[in-house]
Amino acid sequence: MQLTISNLNKTYSNGVHALKDVNLTINQGMFGLLGPNGAGKSSLMRTIATLQEPDSGSISLGNINVLTQKEEVRKTLGYLPQEFGVYPKVDAITLLNHLAVLKGITNTTERKSVVEALLHKTNLWGARKKNLGGYSGGMKQRFGIAQALLANPKLIIVDEPTAGLDPAERNRFLNLLSELGENTVVILSTHIVDDVKELCSDMAVFNKGEVLFKGSPDEALNAIVGKIWEKRISKAELSDYKNNFKVISEKLIAGNPIIHVFAESNPDGTFEPVEGDLEDVYFSKIFA
Amino acid sequence: MLKEILRFEFSYRKNRPATYIYFGILFILCFAASTSKYVSFEGVAGGQIKENSPFFLTTMTIIMTFFMTFICSAIMGVAVLRDFEHKMESLVFSTTVCKFDYLIGRFLGSFIVMVLVYSSIWLALMLGFSIGEYLPWEPSWEGKKMLPFDAWSFLQPFIYWGITNIFIQGAIFFAAGALSRSTIVIYTQGIVLFVLYQITNTILSDIENKTVAALLDPFCYRTFQIYTEYWTPAQKNALLVPFEGIMLWNRVIWCSFALLILIITYFSFSYNVVRNSLFKKKAVKEEKSAFQPDSIRIPVVHQFSGFGTNLKQLWKESVFYTKMIVREIPFIAIIFVGLADLTISSFYFDEMYGTSSYPITANVIGLLNNFDLYFLIIVVFYSGEIIWKERVTNMHLIIDATPVPDWVNLFAKFVGLLIIYISLLLILILSGILIQASHGYFNFEISLYFKALFTNTLIFLVLYTLLSFFVQVMGNNKFVGFAMMFVFFLVTFFLGASGIQHPLFSFGSGSLRDYSDMNKYGHFITRFSWLKFYWLAFVAFLFILAVVFSVRGSEAVMKTRLRVGKLRLTRPILTIGIFSFIAFIAAGCYVFYNTNRLNEYETREEGEDKQVAYEKALKKFEHLPQPKIIDVNLKVEIYPQTRNFTAEGYFWLKNKTEKPLADVHIQNDMEHKMKIDYLKFDNGAKENKAHSKFGYIIYTLNKPLAPDDSVKMSFKTQFETKGFVATGGNTDVVYNGTFFNNMYFPTIGYNNSYEINDDDTRRKKKLPEKERMMEQNNPVGLSQSLFGDDADYIRFEMVIGTDKDQTAIAPGYLQKTWDENNRKYFHYKMDVSMCNFYSIVSAKYEVKKDKWKDVNLEIYYNKGHEYNLDKMMASMKASFDYFSKNFTPYQYRQMRIMEFPRYAEFAQSFANTVPFSEGIGFIQKVADPKEDIDMPYYVTAHELGHQWWGHQVAEANVKGNAMLSETQAQYSALMVMKHAVTPEMMQKFLKYELNRYLQGRATERKKEQPLNMVEGQGYIHYQKGSLVMFALQDYIGEEKVNLALRNFLADWQYPGPDSKNKRYPTSNDLLKYFKAQTPDSLKNIITDMFETITLFENKVEKVAYKPLKDKTFEVKITTTNEKFRADSSGNEAPIAINDWIDVGVYGTDKNGDDKLLYLKKHKVTQKNNTFTIIVKEEPKKAGIDPINKLIDRHAEDNTKAAEESEGI
Repeated sequence: MQLTISNLNKTYSNGVHALKDVNLTINQGMFGLLGPNGAGKSSLMRTIATLQEPDSGSISLGNINVLTQKEEVRKTLGYLPQEFGVYPKVDAITLLNHLAVLKGITNTTERKSVVEALLHKTNLWGARKKNLGGYSGGMKQRFGIAQALLANPKLIIVDEPTAGLDPAERNRFLNLLSELGENTVVILSTHIVDDVKELCSDMAVFNKGEVLFKGSPDEALNAIVGKIWEKRISKAELSDYKNNFKVISEKLIAGNPIIHVFAESNPDGTFEPVEGDLEDVYFSKIFA
Repeated sequence: MLKEILRFEFSYRKNRPATYIYFGILFILCFAASTSKYVSFEGVAGGQIKENSPFFLTTMTIIMTFFMTFICSAIMGVAVLRDFEHKMESLVFSTTVCKFDYLIGRFLGSFIVMVLVYSSIWLALMLGFSIGEYLPWEPSWEGKKMLPFDAWSFLQPFIYWGITNIFIQGAIFFAAGALSRSTIVIYTQGIVLFVLYQITNTILSDIENKTVAALLDPFCYRTFQIYTEYWTPAQKNALLVPFEGIMLWNRVIWCSFALLILIITYFSFSYNVVRNSLFKKKAVKEEKSAFQPDSIRIPVVHQFSGFGTNLKQLWKESVFYTKMIVREIPFIAIIFVGLADLTISSFYFDEMYGTSSYPITANVIGLLNNFDLYFLIIVVFYSGEIIWKERVTNMHLIIDATPVPDWVNLFAKFVGLLIIYISLLLILILSGILIQASHGYFNFEISLYFKALFTNTLIFLVLYTLLSFFVQVMGNNKFVGFAMMFVFFLVTFFLGASGIQHPLFSFGSGSLRDYSDMNKYGHFITRFSWLKFYWLAFVAFLFILAVVFSVRGSEAVMKTRLRVGKLRLTRPILTIGIFSFIAFIAAGCYVFYNTNRLNEYETREEGEDKQVAYEKALKKFEHLPQPKIIDVNLKVEIYPQTRNFTAEGYFWLKNKTEKPLADVHIQNDMEHKMKIDYLKFDNGAKENKAHSKFGYIIYTLNKPLAPDDSVKMSFKTQFETKGFVATGGNTDVVYNGTFFNNMYFPTIGYNNSYEINDDDTRRKKKLPEKERMMEQNNPVGLSQSLFGDDADYIRFEMVIGTDKDQTAIAPGYLQKTWDENNRKYFHYKMDVSMCNFYSIVSAKYEVKKDKWKDVNLEIYYNKGHEYNLDKMMASMKASFDYFSKNFTPYQYRQMRIMEFPRYAEFAQSFANTVPFSEGIGFIQKVADPKEDIDMPYYVTAHELGHQWWGHQVAEANVKGNAMLSETQAQYSALMVMKHAVTPEMMQKFLKYELNRYLQGRATERKKEQPLNMVEGQGYIHYQKGSLVMFALQDYIGEEKVNLALRNFLADWQYPGPDSKNKRYPTSNDLLKYFKAQTPDSLKNIITDMFETITLFENKVEKVAYKPLKDKTFEVKITTTNEKFRADSSGNEAPIAINDWIDVGVYGTDKNGDDKLLYLKKHKVTQKNNTFTIIVKEEPKKAGIDPINKLIDRHAEDNTKAAEESEGI
């Protein structure tokens, strides 16, 4: 199964051009959608998740037209929104059970087993009878993941799933996703480069509603081999460098900035070549 | 810092459009109220009370605080809450602002905004009354002489009652918001305030509770009503309510309460982000469990879809929503408060003079209907809450992405609410049964409960829920939704007021009306069913629209919703949508066919115009000499099941004038849409149909009727029920319990009762003001009786046919009864002449028979209503005893009482026949003869009294006439009761009469008359009549009064143009007989009581006593006594007092009850008086006019507890 997005456009009523002629083909496996906050990732995700209408363009999942056959899409969909709430006065097992019903798991025994399995899997079993209002951010996020995995989805859309998770939880979650990714389309949006680096076989860099790059992480890295230059400078020099070079990132190490510059060759000879990583790809696409 | 916070709060509100919208709404409402001709305020303004009177302005100002509650909750409630909702609290609390400055600043800032918003009221009223007459439309007071402009009468109510109300409400809402940090608690708070107001209404059915009710009302509206209840129109036009008495106390109590609330808020407001809950939450322990995510396999499950699955999902989801709402604390609070209100109301069951009714199921259902208010709150609130549940909790994206069809989600919310409604209805039924059981009543009609609540109430809930769903979905904002619902109610109200009253346009119309044990729900079921079907189809269509347009996902722009909506138009949805729309249109057409084609539909305006046209065209015939009916012989065929009847037969008309009469003017009964099949005169007549549109036809006899000659007029007229009508619907001719009178038959000449009587309406229609009755010296009035100018006395004979299982009754004696064509016939004939006033009654009856001397006593009642038959029988016997001994013998050989359905609540006296409503008397419960006034006994005696006062002496149709019939019937009944009950019970009864008289004069629209000039004013001829006649017999003696009445009867029995006096008597004729029996020393009481409006202000200042040596006690009573005379508007002037007034001293009897030790009249000639009295027992209390025989607005200050004191 393949998800094909063609010529997708969306302008909000406040004039924000959220999607600009987006074309993407996403195959089974993990797909990383990398972009800064406000890039339009969530808009794209919501549109794929049947929750938003584009102004023009089309999306298809296999033979399904996502924009018109919404119910067919929803049957195979597991969706974790970027920000979500829960009914505060309901406990986890009840709500998960309720959502399972809505997903069409009407067989009681099956429902029970899948709900229990997911609670175990997301380490919520101990807190299953606690009202969701009392959950911490991380617990709530895990609950969100659990619900997205109900009903063996074939299309999983997870929007910034690792936000609010501690490192251990994040690892476990990414492991979980990678387990699923084999015969499922998993779209993971994130602004954390490491998420994509660790998981995705395919990716796109997205900013201001536009796809800036698409391909595998390896391709992305190949594209910048020998083009990333690093230099340690003093704080006072920073603005000069920014004016003169294509500074794609700056990091403080021991109080002094280290800057990366994207260039075909050593910009002024004082830079050191470095092996670019995905982060450099990301920044080079965004700031370039 | 305080100033800064205050300024911040103020400017925050200043920049919110909502603030201006609130101001605008109030402004428009008040402006409309003061300048629209469609808004009328019955009893508050109009008639004598000017629209710009201080009374009306105060009423408006206080009433608007009810609306203010919504605004107040929005402004004051969220002053602090806002910080929590916007998650600002951490930022605010960590600044240097101290708690005091923060709280008080926010409170004062919002409070000032409230005061400014509220100023819209007096500004709008001021503007409305200043420029009203120059507007392009006519205000209701157009052309009326208004009071001169006085700014203080606009401002004073605002400052005194308005600002205090805002402070009280504001403090309560502010506290609720600050302490609970939850919006819904604020609303619940508002509901509690309304319920308090509601309760004051309930407990007022016992007049002893006035002070409690006045203090309990947080809005001060009830207090204001009670404070001004005896204010005459003149006072209402002149006086502002001061801070005094209950008004002051109410404000003191509630303002202190509000202050206390603020102090509590200050101390318990935790100036922390995290706070300790008031209630310890049940801690759910997290279980420790081994966590091995890798070992867990997520099982493969089957995903089902299709209609069957959807139904399962629907059910699960519905139950889920039900549980969610039921757990809400505010929901439980609303239910709790509602049930508490019901419980309180159940103590005051359908009270009449403090006596309650049996809790028969029909009555209990009436009580349960009070819960509708709470239902409405639940409907509006929780339909909003449930629609917005996911979006408010921000869970909508998850839920919306599940593969559930759109209709399931919305429908589940509806079913979830439906489950709640049904559960609540079952709880209500259970409460009803418990109420019945607690009253010791065990005839539970469970099926009737279900019939009433699961039709009328449930449909009402469904209609408003789906409407609210639609509004919430389309408005796409919860608060906009609430506001739109509120506007919807307002618009509905104003549409109704402006004359658009057709049921097709008034949402949810088609009430089932009261259940009658006799007629059940009768013919109302048809109208009810069609209209409800119509509205259900309408909301079903709205629901489909809501499904199509409901927001799923994050798209809320209407254009996108339209586009998405198209995708949702699946075949089933489309089918249901089209089907419901067709059903709506078809049902509407059918209703329209019934109301406007089969029947005639008339708006109020059209009706009034018709009345105007009638008056203008035909008034000239009003006093035209006409022949009189002297003989009535009719055959009436009643068809109860089709609600039709025909009447065929003849009247003999006699020319009692001195000139030949050629023209006979016949008025058909237009009010009941009677149809005359034929009407002809012996020897023939020419018809002049020029005025036939008014049902008025002039017949010119071929042979003019010579003086003293008679002509036979034969006719057939019929009443036909076709389908159902738009509003009301005839309740006289029904399945079981038909009761109508001769007003349905053709009458002679112009009928002035078709005219518009109300002066305000007349002015609007450019008609001159109208006198209510003719002067006492008007020969026209003197020549006709209260029964009209069609006849003096008639011979009467009637055959009535009805259904086989019904009994039909008319005046006269039953000659014969037979079966024919599967119908039953009754032949009645009266063997003496009687008044031209007869009833026709038909129902399924049980009969109870008894005898008083030779008179047959019969009560025809509905099976199951046996409760008071013995009391009514006893009353009939006691009445006949008393009246025949003290007045004259009874003129008939029989007396029958017949029960009729409760659509009207009265009893009426016809010749040897008294129809008596189911709603009074038959189901009254006299639980404790020491506490409860025996109303069945009293009403029976009153109606029997009319056999003398009305039937033996019919009074002239002039001013003061009801003093002869109604007042004397009251007197007769009072005397019968006096000899049957304790003096305390008489005092209790008279206390109610006094209250009703004083309230009645306070709302007089035209002019208050003295008793001897009464113009059909019930509060005068009944209530004042009772008080005056009771006092008269107390002053001059019962024997003397009876002697006067006996003498009067001897001279005036069966009066009229044919009698020795050549006319009918007036009140002043009777007064002569009273005067003749009154000693000179008391002559002034006749003037005070009958001929003028006189009021006393008797008050005890001090009662002191000391024991004397001979074991007696000396009591010193210090009093003030004043006397006033009022004019017809209620302007009062003090007059010199020179009266005999009771002085009384009470001791205690063995049971601890009051016992009169001394009661004697003393002459009072000055304002300040002291009475010294020796009594044999220790006095407990004493007073002046302690039994309240005189008319006194402060009856309660007539007695005072006695204090022991040496120094007297």
